[in-house]
Amino acid sequence: MLLRLTKVAKFYGNRLVIKDVSFEVSPGTVTLLAGPNGAGKSTLLKLMAGLSRPSVGSVERGIADEALGYLGHQTFIYPELTAFENLAFWARLHGLAQERCSEEALLAALERMELKRFAFERAGGFSRGMAQRLNLARVLLLSPSLLLLDEPGTGLDTRSMAILHREIAAARDRGAGIVWISHSVAEDLARADRVLAIADKRVVYSGPAADYVPEAVAC
Amino acid sequence: MQTNRLSPVMPLVGIVAGLALALCQYMIFVYAPVEQTMGIVQKIFYFHMPLAWWSLISFLTVFVASIAFLRTRNWKWDALSGAAAEVGVLFSGLALITGSIWGRHSWGVWWTWDPRLTTTLVMWFVYAGYLVLRTLDLPRERLGTVSAVVGIVAFLDVPLVFLSARLWRSIHPAVFASKGGGLEAEMKTTVIACIVAFGFLWVALTWLRAAQRRMAARIDVLATETTI
Amino acid sequence: MLSAALAIASKDLRLLLSRGTGLVQALLLGLLLIFVFSLSQRVGEVMGPQGAAAIFWLASAFCQVLIFNTLFAIEEANGARFGLLLAPVPVQAVWLGKGIAGFTLLLCAQAVFLPAAIVFLGQTVSPLWHVGLATVLLADVGIVALGALLGALSQGQAARESLLSIVLFPLLVPVLLAGIRVGAAAFADDIPEGVESWLGLVAAFDALFLGAGIVLFPFVYGGEE
Repeated sequence: MLLRLTKVAKFYGNRLVIKDVSFEVSPGTVTLLAGPNGAGKSTLLKLMAGLSRPSVGSVERGIADEALGYLGHQTFIYPELTAFENLAFWARLHGLAQERCSEEALLAALERMELKRFAFERAGGFSRGMAQRLNLARVLLLSPSLLLLDEPGTGLDTRSMAILHREIAAARDRGAGIVWISHSVAEDLARADRVLAIADKRVVYSGPAADYVPEAVAC
Repeated sequence: MQTNRLSPVMPLVGIVAGLALALCQYMIFVYAPVEQTMGIVQKIFYFHMPLAWWSLISFLTVFVASIAFLRTRNWKWDALSGAAAEVGVLFSGLALITGSIWGRHSWGVWWTWDPRLTTTLVMWFVYAGYLVLRTLDLPRERLGTVSAVVGIVAFLDVPLVFLSARLWRSIHPAVFASKGGGLEAEMKTTVIACIVAFGFLWVALTWLRAAQRRMAARIDVLATETTI
Repeated sequence: MLSAALAIASKDLRLLLSRGTGLVQALLLGLLLIFVFSLSQRVGEVMGPQGAAAIFWLASAFCQVLIFNTLFAIEEANGARFGLLLAPVPVQAVWLGKGIAGFTLLLCAQAVFLPAAIVFLGQTVSPLWHVGLATVLLADVGIVALGALLGALSQGQAARESLLSIVLFPLLVPVLLAGIRVGAAAFADDIPEGVESWLGLVAAFDALFLGAGIVLFPFVYGGEE
């Protein structure tokens, strides 16, 4: 068990965002989080990441804090720093061991994202696709065993998208558990093992991806 | 959900406060003797003292209610700290004005670096800022938390402000000899009666405002629920 | 926690000192204040040491508000705040990191304000200068501890500089009074009440608000919108 949610509900003030979610993530699986806009998917992912606390119920993680990767559509990048400096800061912040945050290691991580050429350029000048690849490099630096993705593909070019899909598959093969909010569920269904669908503030489907019928909660 | 009807005790406290204040007027102007050197102006003391006292109690209430809010996340504490801060700013403002009039008459200056006056002034500023903060357009959770943190920090500052004002004053020549001391028995009784009467007023006002705040929050919830 | 705090501080200093214009704005505002106040003297007249010290601290206080607003605004741009919160360290590391960065930046600014105050306001340096400098350092610790706590109020950019200053300035009164008194002594070598009690007061302020920062910061800095 990498992550377990037990009867989770979340209120903002008196407003209910999501209720009665029980769910478990096991290693080596991709779970697609589906549902219409405003259904509370991002809130759920933030609860899983520990960025926000559940109002009711509990969120337990079976992994160390440093093995958690969170990739949102916000890139967490400092535009005034270079790509390399962004990665170096992230590595220091997470207290990574020396061999994982050496210059070679960081450059190798950028290389893998096809960003090595731009390593010493201001990240602020990057295109959306490049910025998101840098973001991905940042997350993969942690070699996370639990990877939470909040619409990482929004606005990406085809090359960046291919890299994203490649890395998601690679992470699964490594045995990581992945929870993925996708902006195109129908397309990404084939890449998923399980689906957790939310509508009207509650879970409407939780099971194998093969049996999921997307029409039930058309976006 | 708590009932939203006003508790029957509350109007009662208000009525007691009104009667007690009326009695105080009698005591101040008839029962207590006119002070010899200050004359009739000395009567302002009977207002100034309770106002200053209860404003400090208000700020203490904000402090305690803020801690309680952060610990329990119960909104009644948030309503109480907001209400107490409002009453505190009102009372300390009035205490400053009455104190200033007193100072003009007895020491010939409108303002002096008396540690108590200075502390009251600084607190007035702090809690006026706190009230502005509470009007910000933030999500309710965030506003409640932020206000509580400022409410705690503000009160922690009170003793330091007092100490620094006292140290500061030692630079300036003392403009007045220590006051108080030789109060006549009737005056003492009157002061105590006034403090008690203002206490009732304080409880009634704070309670009323806290209840209003709780109701306003409830109405907000109902309004958003119906629009959704 | 300390290494994460240092990572944050050095990142912020790199952003503000070498690239951004964050400190420049704060510096200019402080210098302008000192210059404008120098106009309150008539030609040939010299401002009293206490007035000069007050203006120095006023410039520092305004500068500090701008510094902390900038330091926390950095984290809002691309949701970087969430990145910090995801790090496997206590959230107080952010408070400490911002505090260290703010302390360094404030000292840099004061290194400019102090000579400016001496030149524009016609002050001299007395034998008590080292006590004055020690007070500046000590007072800055408390100012920064409180600034790093309340600066986080601007999270989500709802609170503006003006609001931060009206909440912060009255709270700073004890340290400002101490700074002004001892500062005046450093200019004029005259402090009848002695510096010890002022230094004690500032130390108490530091201890109180360092403690308050550690306890309260997690409440004001979080992942909720």
